[in-house]
Amino acid sequence: MDAALLEQMLLGALLALSVFLPLRCGQLSLATPGFYAVGGYVAALLSTDVPAFAGSGATSPLAALLAEMVLGGSLAGLIALAIGGPVLRLRGIYLAIATIALVEILRVLNLNLPFTGGAMGIFGIPQPFEHAGGYVLFTLGLLAVACWLCQRLEAVRLGRAMAAIRDDELAAASVGIDTPRTKLIAFVASAVLAGVTGALAAHFFNSWNARAGSFDASITTLAFVVFGGSRFWPGPVLGGLVLTALPELLRPVGDLRLILFGAVILLGPLFFPQGLVTAERLRGLAALLGRVRQAPQAP
Amino acid sequence: MILGRLQRVGTGLLTLTLLLAGCGSDAGNQPLEVGGGVPVGAVLALTGNANVYGQDQKIGLELALQHRNGGGGINGHPLKLALEDSGSDEPGANAAFTLQINRGVLALVGPTLSQQAFSADPIAQRRGVPVVAPSNTATGIPEIGFFISRVSAQSSVIAPLAIAQALKIQPGLKRAAVFYAQDDAYSTAETTIFQKALKERGLDPVTVQRTQLNDQDFQNQISAALRETPDLIVLSLQAVDGGNLIRQLRELGYRGLIVAGNGMNTPNIYPICQKYCDGLLIAQAYSPELDTPANAAFLKAFKAAKGGAIPPQLTAQAYTALQVIGEALVRLDKRQPLAGANLAAARKQLMQEILAGTYATPLGEIRFTPEGEVIQSQFFVAQVRMDPGGRSGRFALLK
Repeated sequence: MDAALLEQMLLGALLALSVFLPLRCGQLSLATPGFYAVGGYVAALLSTDVPAFAGSGATSPLAALLAEMVLGGSLAGLIALAIGGPVLRLRGIYLAIATIALVEILRVLNLNLPFTGGAMGIFGIPQPFEHAGGYVLFTLGLLAVACWLCQRLEAVRLGRAMAAIRDDELAAASVGIDTPRTKLIAFVASAVLAGVTGALAAHFFNSWNARAGSFDASITTLAFVVFGGSRFWPGPVLGGLVLTALPELLRPVGDLRLILFGAVILLGPLFFPQGLVTAERLRGLAALLGRVRQAPQAP
Repeated sequence: MILGRLQRVGTGLLTLTLLLAGCGSDAGNQPLEVGGGVPVGAVLALTGNANVYGQDQKIGLELALQHRNGGGGINGHPLKLALEDSGSDEPGANAAFTLQINRGVLALVGPTLSQQAFSADPIAQRRGVPVVAPSNTATGIPEIGFFISRVSAQSSVIAPLAIAQALKIQPGLKRAAVFYAQDDAYSTAETTIFQKALKERGLDPVTVQRTQLNDQDFQNQISAALRETPDLIVLSLQAVDGGNLIRQLRELGYRGLIVAGNGMNTPNIYPICQKYCDGLLIAQAYSPELDTPANAAFLKAFKAAKGGAIPPQLTAQAYTALQVIGEALVRLDKRQPLAGANLAAARKQLMQEILAGTYATPLGEIRFTPEGEVIQSQFFVAQVRMDPGGRSGRFALLK
């Protein structure tokens, strides 16, 4: 497998986790691509306009990338914090519609602001890594941290509060959980993760424009979670990896590839309504792995 | 318990990805294998909203390949073309470029859209693979680097010609209205050039209307524009949205001249705006009526393949792009046999060879600046003439 495709898969997995975080709290937010675009613009603008970030123009220092990720993530987080209060009063499908509107507003802003380069966007973004392999290792690290944090959520009070809101918001509020605050934390965390991912992706894709954050992208990222499973973090990660890779891996079948890809997206939820990864399947897999490990002990 | 296992499964997943990451290949230092043919790649938008362009280009590449291999290939070895779909977005173009480069192609034709080129061309530039773009018209494409060139003249050269022609047909034009898709790189780049050309001729646009690439209903923008009673409408739109807009313009009662940009320079607009396409003015980098041996050969091949139809510009440019690579390969192979050569070195020499040559193509005689920008001697302005049924038509050359 090629390192560049692997990098796209890992970025897909990170975006899937960003959609997963509000869902873990019962909130269907489609705003991820909007924050992803914001993070990307921060990195693109800094690394093409600010000499300290631009490096030699072709290659840029790794410290600059880290700073851009922090700034991109912070800006996305601040936007989420500012609008999260009113937006999160909405529930279910209404929240989804409001977040689609947010993505659309950000897109039109990005197309028309004087410094974002219009539809052409920003190009000639310098490279912090010489090969795609460097991106892969770096993104793997980022994904590992994101996964670890999601795993920690299972054990800490915040994560349990989120799960309680997902299962029954009224009941959660009645046992003393501050539901608006918890939902806001999940929304902001999702935005920060998307912003950080965008800052990294802008470098990887060489150019950045408003199409990164479109309604189509909202649906694609949602599909990652629906396909992989929305209850445990390995679900979205798997969904993001598989659904990003599939159109490329299907290239040998020629013109049929997009039809097959569509069929997979359709059949996935039909046969696995909870997504590919569920608690039962994970437990089964873990038991299987345990048995395999013990098997070679036989004489 | 479950958590511990979950963690282990997660770690396993990550290790697996890490292992896969290690398998990335780089074909740069292999010796070149020409036994199965001299490998060249193409990346076109065969799906997505730019697919109508990709389909035109695909035919051009196929004809150029037949022509090259019918005439002895690359000094006896056949030219082998691998075609990949880029979709109409940047990640698709990047993935297809990387795939082709890893396959060990000597040069690439593509990608279809300028926006894709800004994303995918730097990959080819970094890995030292020659790119000949068949249809990128935005400013700044050859400037991406040494390995990037194009056979498609940029819109700043071509677009003003159509305005000049409109003024020739109807010298009293006073009120120009401009439309462009604000979320499309090609449209926004070209409209700047159109608006500048209009101003230079004293035709300050009375209104500039913005649309979206995926819009289908333009009633709001059209009504707003028609309130200004324009006598010339200038469009920088792609084939599908532009075709729909023309149709709605005429249906809402506009009778004046329409000038369109390069995005609508394809017979694929006929089925969209049908009889309403009639009279549309377009400046072109290719005319089927150009009388040269190279164009005659191309026309003959196209007619044989498509049963008498007239080839569009995109097809001619794609044909030219592969012809340029083919001829440069023949010259390079004569000086220094390709078989067994180091791939990275051969790619670099091929780029130098491409830039050094002069080519007799269906577009007329072309050569390149040292940067890779095309130098083309002739441009044309055509007017669409639809058949009475409104199902098909042709681009009639205006003198």
